[in-house]
Amino acid sequence: MKTAGKIFIIASAVLLAAWVLPWIYTLISLKPYSTPFTLYSCTVHDFTSLDRSDGKGFRFIDTKGNVHGDEAQPTFYASVLASKGALPDTIEGRKVTLEEIERNSIIASSDPKDVNRTKAPVYLLMESVPVRLELQDAEEAMVSRKDGIYIYEMASNELLKAKSDSLNAALKALGFTFPARLFAGKPSNRKEYDEGWLVTDSADRLFKLKQVNGLIEIRTFPGADDLHASWLMITEFENRATLAYIVDKNGLLNILKADGTVVPTEVPFDPRKEDLLIVGDMFFYTVKTSTSDGEHFYALRADDFSLVDTLERPYPKDFSLPGIRYTSGSDGWVKPRLRGFRE
Amino acid sequence: MNRMIIYKEWLKTRWALLGVVLTFAAVTFYCFLNLSKVVEIRGAELLWEALVDKDTVLTEILKYLPLAAGVVLAACQFLPEVTHKRLKLTLHLPYPQGRMLLNIALYGLAVLAVIFALQALVSALILKQWVVWELVARILRTMAVWYLAGWAGYLFAAAVCLEPTWRMRAVLLVLAAGFVALLFKSEVPEAYNGFFPVLLLYVVLSVSLLYYGVARFKEGKQD
Repeated sequence: MKTAGKIFIIASAVLLAAWVLPWIYTLISLKPYSTPFTLYSCTVHDFTSLDRSDGKGFRFIDTKGNVHGDEAQPTFYASVLASKGALPDTIEGRKVTLEEIERNSIIASSDPKDVNRTKAPVYLLMESVPVRLELQDAEEAMVSRKDGIYIYEMASNELLKAKSDSLNAALKALGFTFPARLFAGKPSNRKEYDEGWLVTDSADRLFKLKQVNGLIEIRTFPGADDLHASWLMITEFENRATLAYIVDKNGLLNILKADGTVVPTEVPFDPRKEDLLIVGDMFFYTVKTSTSDGEHFYALRADDFSLVDTLERPYPKDFSLPGIRYTSGSDGWVKPRLRGFRE
Repeated sequence: MNRMIIYKEWLKTRWALLGVVLTFAAVTFYCFLNLSKVVEIRGAELLWEALVDKDTVLTEILKYLPLAAGVVLAACQFLPEVTHKRLKLTLHLPYPQGRMLLNIALYGLAVLAVIFALQALVSALILKQWVVWELVARILRTMAVWYLAGWAGYLFAAAVCLEPTWRMRAVLLVLAAGFVALLFKSEVPEAYNGFFPVLLLYVVLSVSLLYYGVARFKEGKQD
């Protein structure tokens, strides 16, 4: 046993050193690195990056090196331009107003750390048509189990059996196969309106559950069933044009429009590994996916989501000491993983 | 002989155990009194929301109790053996030394397990009043790592007590600090689910440290 104790101490010391020494090295050698804010311009028709290196304020540089002012991003900086009386009344041959621009401006993001974590199978259920018009905090919650979705009143922690039975019977009648696999929703009262939850069943069919006047309204999306969604994000943007973003079995981003139709895009996105940022206006969407290797930009037309342009921006490789790390910026788990070059 | 060993350990630890049990009871009572007031004033919905949307399991105040209990219990069991020079006498009793050491350690680990299990049971029973079992299980799975830290703290503290030289004690303290830091590294609920069996195995293997210290003591190692 003495030998076992000695081996235990040596092994522990090696594991500790392999964890702590690279961490200290990284801490000492880490240099700040940032990339400029980049959007596709609806006036320049090119990606423009914010440059403040001369300290003289905002200027935008396109991929050809041309320098532009705020007018290169008239929708993103619409309020600034309007305050100066410089907001154009026509963009892309279309008459625009500040109100219209603001209503059609969207921002959405996803972080792998929010995807890669153990979540409780409990989903807060809001009333989508509140009596007092403003959205209120959820009073009920759905609990996903192997044989159904059960609704609880949170205040009393009591199962609402009749409501749950009615929901499960309705879902089964529509061909829903339990257990549910993915849930996507934003049960917050800090939004304009509530679309409820998008849910996929065990056969990857897509459904929407929304509480309207105390009853659960179910909607199916036959056009989305072949996608075999691996990731969903409900949008709930002010313009109500879209319902969700969906990553399909091929790893491509799809847009689920409010009318239930699915528009595929050519944007590859792995929500488990990549950050996603979508900034859109009434003309173009700039989609940025990024890993530790670099950033990938895609410009899509806002009307049909066709690909207009792309831009790649690799990050410089940073050397880090090989070793073990137990946490990661891209997941919420503690587990050993080898580290070498920056991941 | 086993009963005698257990009785001897009981005599050494009974007052410390009373202190540990009272501390556990007091802090656990305080934790759930706080939560019951939240439920009373703002409703149980707040607990559900916090457990679903935030990186909390609501019982974080209990986090370091098991570790402290493990260290205190180990000190009460093993410090007198060393400071009062009883270890040599203990090792000369007509009983296999290895089994003697194991029984002493198992006494401490079992007592800690009972205290931890009682706290987990009480927590589950209270929480079950307010939230569904899925959320209670989430809390318990997160708390399991804190209890593992209690066992690790016990075994490492015992090893430090039994180790005859300060140099090796320092090494053991650094290893203990590293392992405990790993166990408390993440605030994310259920962050350790997949890694837990490996951590448990490591804690079980750390029993070998006790034998290592005793062997060095018998060899007459000194600073």
